[in-house]
Amino acid sequence: MPELSETDTDCWRGELELGFHHRDGRTVLADRRHLGPLRIQRPFYPEGPGVCHAYVLHPPGGVVGGDTLHISARAQTGAHALLTTPAAGKFYRSSGATAHQVVNLCVQPNARLEWLPQETIVFAGAKADLLTRVDLTGDAEFLGWEILCLGRSAAGEGFDHGNVRQRFEIWRENKPLLLERISIDGGGPLLTSPWGLRGFPVTASLIATGRDPGLASQVRDAVQTQDAQEYCSVTQLDDVVVCRYLGLHAAHARHRLSRAWEILRPMIVQRPACAPRIWFT
Amino acid sequence: MTNQTTLRLMQLVSPALPVGAYAYSQGLETAVERGWVSDEADARDWILGLMDHSLCHLDVPVFARIYRGFAADDKAAVLAWSELLRACRETAELQAEDHHLGAALARLLDELDVPGASTWVDHPARSFATLFAMAAVHWQIPLADAVSGYVWAWAENQVAAAIKLVPLGQTAGQRILSDVTVELPEMMERGLELEDSAIGAIAPALAMASALHEVQYSRLFRS
Repeated sequence: MPELSETDTDCWRGELELGFHHRDGRTVLADRRHLGPLRIQRPFYPEGPGVCHAYVLHPPGGVVGGDTLHISARAQTGAHALLTTPAAGKFYRSSGATAHQVVNLCVQPNARLEWLPQETIVFAGAKADLLTRVDLTGDAEFLGWEILCLGRSAAGEGFDHGNVRQRFEIWRENKPLLLERISIDGGGPLLTSPWGLRGFPVTASLIATGRDPGLASQVRDAVQTQDAQEYCSVTQLDDVVVCRYLGLHAAHARHRLSRAWEILRPMIVQRPACAPRIWFT
Repeated sequence: MTNQTTLRLMQLVSPALPVGAYAYSQGLETAVERGWVSDEADARDWILGLMDHSLCHLDVPVFARIYRGFAADDKAAVLAWSELLRACRETAELQAEDHHLGAALARLLDELDVPGASTWVDHPARSFATLFAMAAVHWQIPLADAVSGYVWAWAENQVAAAIKLVPLGQTAGQRILSDVTVELPEMMERGLELEDSAIGAIAPALAMASALHEVQYSRLFRS
């Protein structure tokens, strides 16, 4: 048997595939397949059988250079699923190789998918490539956010070396609605420049489908902040509302984006906000 | 370039091109209002920084692909890259600006008998880059010159906005433009070498400034 090189044996490859189906008024997690360290917890139904809340678990807790995590979730016609994570994702300092995380979310006609993970913390010196791609078909609806923390700022660690490439994309019928792509070099000009991150370690975006012109102004009223230590903005594009955050703390980002989500959810998926229980534990 | 193509490029990049670009600051008005840009050095950093980040990683490589698409009569490529460009614009105002400038240039090119221009007047994926590339291909302006001209026109317009907003003197504006001429060739070369997967670069605080501009109480500019 050929010997595996050290890099091969040290790298995790995690895969998780989820399929949510609509059956007799219920959303059921009908397909699930996992490989490696990624898992899904038993689904919850805190708002009745129509909406399935599911928690994506990554028991190792952190990702090292060379690891690959691949999560794919599909909401079939009529299904409504809410996905979250019980803990922050962490990308550790790398001695060379890049860690990859790919999240593919497919939403079929008349289906709804919510992607509300906790923050992703990229340690100083990490090399991370993060892609979240949402593919919508027909009148599918999506609400989701991504919160990125550069360095462990609570421990006084700045993102002074390493690289993180992040892409958060939403497509409908193979046409791009919004492509947020960024590549951040540790210690690079983007971190401090006035048009870039302005020295803030936390950047986050919430993207929601919807073209009602009233959406943006309602969200704006809910999230506006006078705090000089953070910024929050809202804009309405062709088919999506985008709420962006720039600030010091992931918890504040989550707070602001949750406010936006509470406003948007009843208008987009016709249900009041029902925060996953895991957020409060 | 032959003399004729040089003159055509000058026509395209002239601030007198009647597309109304002078009405757009691309978030600079909010940046000034918030005190992020308050003097010549700040304005220089803002404009050169965005050129190095956003233009280099988005406009330049996408422009090149649209240009090659027109040159090869590959309509699908022109459309796909125009749609990608639009989806990478961070805010409603930046998308609207591209729509207005794209439509205005499409109408003008149609009047100047550039074939195919009229189909872009109301096209949902129209952008200034798309129509600029169409004109450049039609008038046989080489790609590198066309891209330089596109970026130059952007920089000159940003400098004009900075002169009005900060405000700056005309000479200060010319100093910034001189720095643009120094940095532009190397930036363009990097942008033209990017692979498809490396295209796209959001500027987070610019996106913020532009979105805040949409509801700013007092505004001179449309973006």
